[in-house]
Amino acid sequence: MFGEKALELVKELKRSGDGSLPPYNEDCVRQVLDEMKALFEQNQKDVSATVAGEGGRIAGVQLRHASLERNKRCLLAYVYNRMEKIRDMRWDFGSVLPDDVKNNLNEHELSWFGRYNRSLAKYMRSVGIDLTQDSKPPKSLYIEVRCLVDYGEFETEDGNVVLLKKNSQHLLHRADCEHLIRQGILEHII
Amino acid sequence: MADDSLYGSLQVRPSGWDYFELDDILACQEKIPCTFETQVKDLGFLDHGSDSEHIEPATKMELPFWLAKELCARQRKIISVELPKVYREAYRQILEADATAVDLNKLGPYFYSVGGKLLEFGNAENPRIAETLMMTYMKRMRRLMDLSLNKLDGSKESQTLLPKLDHDEHNVFAFSQEGLREFEQWKQGVISKLTSSKTVINQRKRKRTEDN
Amino acid sequence: MDPSEVDFLSEKQHVKILPNFKEGRIFLISGDLGPFEPGLTAEVPLWMAVNLKQRKKCRIIPPDWMNIGQLEERKDEEKEREYFTEMPSKSYLELASLLLKSARDDIPHADEVQTLIKDIWEIRMAKLRKSINIMMQEKETHARLDNLTHLEINSIRPFLTSALDRMHILRCNVVENPSTGTDY
Repeated sequence: MFGEKALELVKELKRSGDGSLPPYNEDCVRQVLDEMKALFEQNQKDVSATVAGEGGRIAGVQLRHASLERNKRCLLAYVYNRMEKIRDMRWDFGSVLPDDVKNNLNEHELSWFGRYNRSLAKYMRSVGIDLTQDSKPPKSLYIEVRCLVDYGEFETEDGNVVLLKKNSQHLLHRADCEHLIRQGILEHII
Repeated sequence: MADDSLYGSLQVRPSGWDYFELDDILACQEKIPCTFETQVKDLGFLDHGSDSEHIEPATKMELPFWLAKELCARQRKIISVELPKVYREAYRQILEADATAVDLNKLGPYFYSVGGKLLEFGNAENPRIAETLMMTYMKRMRRLMDLSLNKLDGSKESQTLLPKLDHDEHNVFAFSQEGLREFEQWKQGVISKLTSSKTVINQRKRKRTEDN
Repeated sequence: MDPSEVDFLSEKQHVKILPNFKEGRIFLISGDLGPFEPGLTAEVPLWMAVNLKQRKKCRIIPPDWMNIGQLEERKDEEKEREYFTEMPSKSYLELASLLLKSARDDIPHADEVQTLIKDIWEIRMAKLRKSINIMMQEKETHARLDNLTHLEINSIRPFLTSALDRMHILRCNVVENPSTGTDY
């Protein structure tokens, strides 16, 4: 049946769920496009034949057309849902993506991420607030954190330098460390 | 009894809203039993049971819903469709007898969604199908509500109920549970704890296993 | 909404405190506060009260209704009445939680107070679930519930909205496929 390859793309995304984005399946996408090309060309032939007077070809054209629409839907959904995930990554990881995540994006997706990043930055500058801060209503100005990895030196907003070694604990300004917590470098201790 | 004329003026979400939704795409893949009314030239290879070059009239085949719908759409119907067995009278009676016990996940994980789509074929049994879908949902909702609002999903009752849920019910349950979880966290005073997102946590876990 | 957001909004409520410091009027966007004199009651928003308490600059005076006698009366009333009684504050649970956590020593019989408030919450939530169930079974499209508080509404929101969303679509199916009246 037509559309089976395209469905694989959809299933692949569905399987990955909340987790990471799988690598862009260049191969599968190409196979779907090839199927679409074949369907389209066959339809063109049949339509010309019908116009020339041959009968009985409309049913086939309809069937192939439905398959073309189905393939198109699957491809668009694949690209669109990946795009939404990549957008969410800006809010999860920050403006720089870790390498292993970056490797799963194709060049168009990387370019899109860069543009989204710039749009967001421009907007935040114009409004004057860092929207990625304060994902939860703040309970206090300073928070206690534990460092999960050897990060190195970190300069706080008021100019102090803190050495973030694995397992060290610090009392830091909330605004300073929110994005480090989100990236998994620090752990918030209540 | 609720005022149906008032209700009838409310709109369902416009169709096409879920064009990009992965679940809707998967639901549209559900197989429908069909009979070809006309010949379809050159596509005989789609019928695994026959060797002929064309699909001949009267051929019976299971087609995915997305295709069946299109082939029924115009004036000249290329196929005629039958209801899949889980939407027929026999199964409807089982649902009426005890809706909460039925394993809707087994009947097809997109039971309600596909049921709604079947209505597009204008079958004479449509009113009964629509009624059954709604009654089943309402009866099962009560149990779903009790469980999803009361206990977190580790509980024994949830464990027995969860595998029997249809996809839509599962989403309601999960959404509701998340609310409950957040409330519990609030009570314990840990909800204001800043955390990384699941994506980041999973990525770090994977990285650590790769580095080892 | 996140409960922490509901909580945050509830911190705007005013409570009475007994400051141990002296300070003139403070001008905030949400209104003026003070002046503060040691030993003289002042009224401040909850967030400030908790902050001052943590810095040991005041004692918090629990609201009138937060005592065993009144709470027991409320609990009995809530049990008897079919509908929801009016709560002293639209954020009674948040207020109580916050005070019991940060100013426990300022609340007489804190343990009993905590248990009583929890009991009232449970009774109200059970009523809420029952009333929603009735609403769904009767296929009502809307219901009116007076005197619900923010956190109660918030706790029911995820379930209610997603469950009713699905039900709406299923109901539309029925409306669009009316039975002709002839049985087959």
